Amino acid sequence: MADKLLEVKNLKTSFFTHVGEVQAVRGVSFDLGVGEALGIVGESGSGKSVTSMSLMKLLQYPGVIKEGQILFEGTDVVPKTEKEMRKIRGNDIAMIFQDPMTSLNPVYTIGNQIIEAILEHQNVTKQQARQKAIKMLELVGIPSPESRIDNYPHEFSGGMRQRAMIAIALSCEPKLLIADEPTTALDVTIQAQILELMRELKEKINTSIILITHDLGVVADLCSRIIVMYGGLIMEEGTAEQVFYTPKHPYTMGLLKSIPKVNKKEKERLIPIDGTPPDLVKPPTGCPFYARCEYAMKICKEQVPPYFGVAPGHRSMCWRLHEDAPAHEDFIKESNRGGTHG
Amino acid sequence: MSEQTINKALWENIPKENKDAEVISRPSMTYWQDAWRRLKKNKLSMLGLLFIFFMVMTAIIGPYVISHDYSTQQLQLANIPPKIDIYKVDDATYIYMHSEYKLFNVTADGLLSDKIKETENDLTNRKRVYNIDGNEVVLDYSYASKKVEENPDGVKFKLFMNGEEMKVYDSVHNKSYVLGTDGLGRDMLARVIYGARISLLIAFIATVVNFFIGVLYGGVSGYFGGRVDNLMMRIVDIINVIPLLLYVILLSVIIGSGLKSIIIALGSVYWVSMARIVRGQVLSLKEQEYVLAARTLGASSMRIMIRHLIPNAMGPIIVSMTMLIPSAIFTEAFLSFIGLGVNAPLASWGTLANDALGGLRSYPYQLFYPSLAISVTMLAFNFLGDGLRDALDPRLRK
Amino acid sequence: MAKQLNPNDVLLEVKDLKKHFVSRHGLFGQHTTRVQAVDGVSFKILRGETLGLVGESGCGKSTTGRTIIRLYDVTSGEVIFDGVDISKVSQGEMRQYRKKIQMIFQDPYASLNSRMTVGDIIGEPIDIHNIAKGEERQKIIWNLLERVGLSKEHANRYPHEFSGGQRQRIGIARALAVNPDFIICDEPISALDVSIQAQVVNMLEDLQKELGLTYLFIAHDLSMVKHISDRIGVMYLGKLVELANSDELYDNPNHPYSQALLSAIPIPDPDATKHGQRIVLEGDVPSPINPPSGCRFRTRCKYVMDVCKEVEPEFIEISPNHFSACHLNTVNK
Repeated sequence: MADKLLEVKNLKTSFFTHVGEVQAVRGVSFDLGVGEALGIVGESGSGKSVTSMSLMKLLQYPGVIKEGQILFEGTDVVPKTEKEMRKIRGNDIAMIFQDPMTSLNPVYTIGNQIIEAILEHQNVTKQQARQKAIKMLELVGIPSPESRIDNYPHEFSGGMRQRAMIAIALSCEPKLLIADEPTTALDVTIQAQILELMRELKEKINTSIILITHDLGVVADLCSRIIVMYGGLIMEEGTAEQVFYTPKHPYTMGLLKSIPKVNKKEKERLIPIDGTPPDLVKPPTGCPFYARCEYAMKICKEQVPPYFGVAPGHRSMCWRLHEDAPAHEDFIKESNRGGTHG
Repeated sequence: MSEQTINKALWENIPKENKDAEVISRPSMTYWQDAWRRLKKNKLSMLGLLFIFFMVMTAIIGPYVISHDYSTQQLQLANIPPKIDIYKVDDATYIYMHSEYKLFNVTADGLLSDKIKETENDLTNRKRVYNIDGNEVVLDYSYASKKVEENPDGVKFKLFMNGEEMKVYDSVHNKSYVLGTDGLGRDMLARVIYGARISLLIAFIATVVNFFIGVLYGGVSGYFGGRVDNLMMRIVDIINVIPLLLYVILLSVIIGSGLKSIIIALGSVYWVSMARIVRGQVLSLKEQEYVLAARTLGASSMRIMIRHLIPNAMGPIIVSMTMLIPSAIFTEAFLSFIGLGVNAPLASWGTLANDALGGLRSYPYQLFYPSLAISVTMLAFNFLGDGLRDALDPRLRK
Repeated sequence: MAKQLNPNDVLLEVKDLKKHFVSRHGLFGQHTTRVQAVDGVSFKILRGETLGLVGESGCGKSTTGRTIIRLYDVTSGEVIFDGVDISKVSQGEMRQYRKKIQMIFQDPYASLNSRMTVGDIIGEPIDIHNIAKGEERQKIIWNLLERVGLSKEHANRYPHEFSGGQRQRIGIARALAVNPDFIICDEPISALDVSIQAQVVNMLEDLQKELGLTYLFIAHDLSMVKHISDRIGVMYLGKLVELANSDELYDNPNHPYSQALLSAIPIPDPDATKHGQRIVLEGDVPSPINPPSGCRFRTRCKYVMDVCKEVEPEFIEISPNHFSACHLNTVNK
């Protein structure tokens, strides 16, 4: 990680609804290097999507960034106005969304939408923009782009639309691409195509990627570093190998245990994480995961654990890692399970 | 890393049972409670609701509270406006001079008592002489027919008391008839309130009738779909192209004009929009998984309709009902206005407006109040409908 | 925990099931388009077995499930449940079978009526079939709630107050209220979070053991299907292309489509993906309105031959209990 492209410091985002303040993101810090692919994994309500929307400052009412800094190339984007943000969006930071059916405008052609994005941010003629759009469509693997550029979104299949979305997002050569569940709405074989494409693009153009997903398989596929979020906080952060093979947080362990192993012969019972995620209107005073954690101690209920560095670049928020904490056999066993090797 | 020492007791394990992982902490709130909460936030809607409540209460209770009857005619007291100019005869005696050159006894704060009989009526010189408390009051209305050179100010009449010209003493509110009287001396306030009764009654009955026909028709059409739906919707199209006016005229010919024919006319035409809304809702709702679930459980069509489809379509139905009421009020007013409405002495806002037309230039107030009632009521319903649309929209539910 | 199944005790047999959706256009409905959602599917499910059905969207797996339970009318073919062909009985006669066949739906948000309390939702089947009234009904509802890991206090709450996993369990409780023999699970976990999926799958497994249920488990998530199913059928564009024991299918996928589908599963293991061989299929699934002639997969198949275009491959048993519909099996022999 040579240069830091993005640095998020103690980000707190809340939604002020009638039931009270929903503290969706409760103090998240991480950074992202140039050309790095970071995966943010979490379930619904973990705050992963709100984090990404905060980065783009695209929060819908009643969402507000309450605290923290988002340093993009060293400058904080939090105090920036909507007008200044518009210059950054699309140009420096681009985003692709989950549902390719609704994220393209059905009344304009695919080409129109790419050209518009290019003209918005770059000083080129319409003809040049069109050439560029065709090149982008070719890049994302759309066959015969010269003719498909004039198609409307409904003439594209789901996978093709997601490709077109990626083409739009990459058309201005953004430094950062945020992909919010880009393959969730797609079929498995199409998902494989898109993941393959994203891997290729990552190598071809040196764009940093933040991939937000609930699917551990998808991040394992694409990302070198992984953040696991739960209850609005980062539970664990590390390289893909660290997180998958030596998980240091009970939540990560739980996630890994709850997915079936395809390559295993004998049928073994899945080990679910019992209970449901916390209500972020009244977030727990201690660790957000304590209620569902099998290693929970009294302190977990009362105090939010600090981050414990367990290896270079690997940190985890769990009291069990405290040096005074009593050793728990299963915890140690689980943290050396070696992911799906086991 | 914070490395303060931690109390040993805190390192104890918590058993699983004590962790309440399945507890729901938020208070229970039904769809309607939630909608009401959101409606309450909308000031205009609440104002509209308040006004509608006030209007309905007035229409129900009003006629029993006010002192005048809506149908009693007092031809002597015709066309008295809500604001009157009075002249002072002496400290205890005031007179009101009506624009039809009639004099009335009145109190200083505007309570009318009776018409004063003239002692002498000089038709040739256009003068009337009255004797009030021993004072000779002369009304000279010859000015109205004088030429412009002789009457540069355009005065229509002059009042003289004992030879001296009288000046307007005060302009006071009509205490006897707060909104004045109409051409037959009936109290306008009583008639507007009574008109509210008729207008709102017609609107509500028409809406309720529309609700039942529309929900049934649209529900059946949407639920069965296919050819049934196609046929039923073509019937709707046909009904929709018959002009309402033609319809009412035909109905009036057959069953006579009046309350009944208006209600039948409105009830038999307006349901088409309701039917379309319900049909659209049912078409989309019947593919929802909870309806499929009910079908796999063996629920009858009737049960699915009543327990699943209609309750979930209720939001848009209520919104369109609130929007239907003002248009029913307006249509009723319009029909009454052109003479196809209720018969005298019954009064709706439309007939009141129609009655006022004849004397519009002299007595504009007679048109103003019923029109005001129509407009404000329609506005109130529209505000309420708008607010309900927002409050009942499931997409806004958070 | 291998289940003891009696191969002669067939609970459900589907024979050449077809479901075509016909829509009419034009003023008098003279033009028709025929969507061949399910086009000749045959399989058997033994009592106590779980048959998984996988495939991508539009392959007809959900339609198959919905046609079996008669949410849709059968175009042709037979559905023999417990010895009786239920594909042609009237909706009135079907009512008695609705107690035996139940369904769990995909979307835990859309499958519960938001205007009803949880108690009334679970109580609905009890009311429809006049199973119990008053206090007894109440007791059944509470028992069902407890069975799916909720408590009786939850009966008076509304669905939107529950999380996705809790709602799905309410849906399971509703299906259980009539004591069914056979449950069609239509993508019951695909809308749920990872940690919740395992809860629901475990619950389904426990219920199967306790109550001797038989499942048809429809999903696109192959790893979960593999976990829960005894046998798996792979569908593509309205056809069953392969049917085998789950381990057999994962170890020796025969049909090129099954091979591609399996290799496309993202594995939560960074090493596995780095070394894994992935078959990435080109293009998209063709439209079921106008499916390709011959083998329906030929437009995306890398082994495509001339015969694939002309002759529809037969669904043959290539090894014991392993069926596949691919010309490669016959040409090579």
